[in-house]
Amino acid sequence: MARYQAGDFAAATALIDRVSPQLQRFFLAKVGSRADADDLLQDTWLRIHRVRHTYRPGEPVLPWFYAIARRVRIDHYRRASRTTGRERRLEDMPSVAATPLREEGEGDDLETLLAPLSESQREVIRMMKVAGMSLEEVARATSCSVGSVKQKVHRAYKNLREKMSAMGLEKGPSGGLP
Amino acid sequence: MKDEQVDDFLQKASRVAHEVDPALLKRVADSIHSSLRPVRPLPPTWVLTGGLVLICAAVALAGAARTGFYGFEKLSVLERGLILATLGLLAWVAAREFVSELIPGSRRRFSAGALLAMASVALLGMFALLFHNYRTEHFISAGIACLLTGLLVSIPAASLSWLLLRRGFAVNSVSAGLVGGALAGLSGVTMLELHCVNFQALHVLVWHTAVVPVSAAAGALVGRALRGS
Repeated sequence: MARYQAGDFAAATALIDRVSPQLQRFFLAKVGSRADADDLLQDTWLRIHRVRHTYRPGEPVLPWFYAIARRVRIDHYRRASRTTGRERRLEDMPSVAATPLREEGEGDDLETLLAPLSESQREVIRMMKVAGMSLEEVARATSCSVGSVKQKVHRAYKNLREKMSAMGLEKGPSGGLP
Repeated sequence: MKDEQVDDFLQKASRVAHEVDPALLKRVADSIHSSLRPVRPLPPTWVLTGGLVLICAAVALAGAARTGFYGFEKLSVLERGLILATLGLLAWVAAREFVSELIPGSRRRFSAGALLAMASVALLGMFALLFHNYRTEHFISAGIACLLTGLLVSIPAASLSWLLLRRGFAVNSVSAGLVGGALAGLSGVTMLELHCVNFQALHVLVWHTAVVPVSAAAGALVGRALRGS
């Protein structure tokens, strides 16, 4: 990141190659459409490029990327709601909220597992499990306190335990999902 | 079912490989290539925080110098010390949060609303402790004059603070505006404590304290208006 700030194109390309898959998955989880996720990814990189001086060497880099990506995603929703005037929250859509756990090979199993959770709980779990961020880093990315993130994770795990038990998945990962 | 089992499921499900179209990655890289030049990172948080506190203090002092330090002259040494220490501490905390608002991925200690509530409660507590004259002469007229004076001082404080942090990037402009407005409002309150000789408890509790939430609300509205830019 420091080399990118110094104007090194190779470093910028390496950063784009390395971080883009995580960011695209972050967007895909919310927008569903690959084309929209691609647009958001491009917007995010343009925004990152414009404000790259706000990253300070020595600070964790992933929360900085995700904080900007969240802002791009929110702006996208705001624009979309202005143009359509009838945006519905993803978690309110019955087709998503009521999606049963899918069988192997049917798609993104993490999203299927997280479907019963609230959007804020899903976001926190995604950042921890997909991006491998710590509680502190998730708190930075979401502009929350660490205590608030801990609470969300605790509630998410409680919900997941109940749902998985109800679906008979106690036997372990090999019992049902991939 | 135990947390470890839930963790196993999540770990396994999240390990799915995710590829991005190489053409898209190339397009992204090409789009930034033409404007790729070295940039200077922002200064450390304590430098920016110190700068903001100095700006707010300078604006409050300039305002009081123009209108007179009458209130400060009538206060006892203990009252002066308590008022200035409280305002200084609150200004430091608000300035630090304002800096965090304008640097993506910064550590946050309070939400914008919690900061505003904390500043208002701290001012109310301090004023209730210091002022015990409960007469209410010219409550509205004198109060509105003080509120407007405080807000007038907070405008240059907010403008100069924004100038110092103009290279920052607010991921939530409403929240950033609210915190910046609260900080500027503290500058207005400081000026009032230096200038105002009306020590009636209700006047100070209501009208002096009100400068902070009103200024914060104005800042949030400005942030909302600038959200798309």
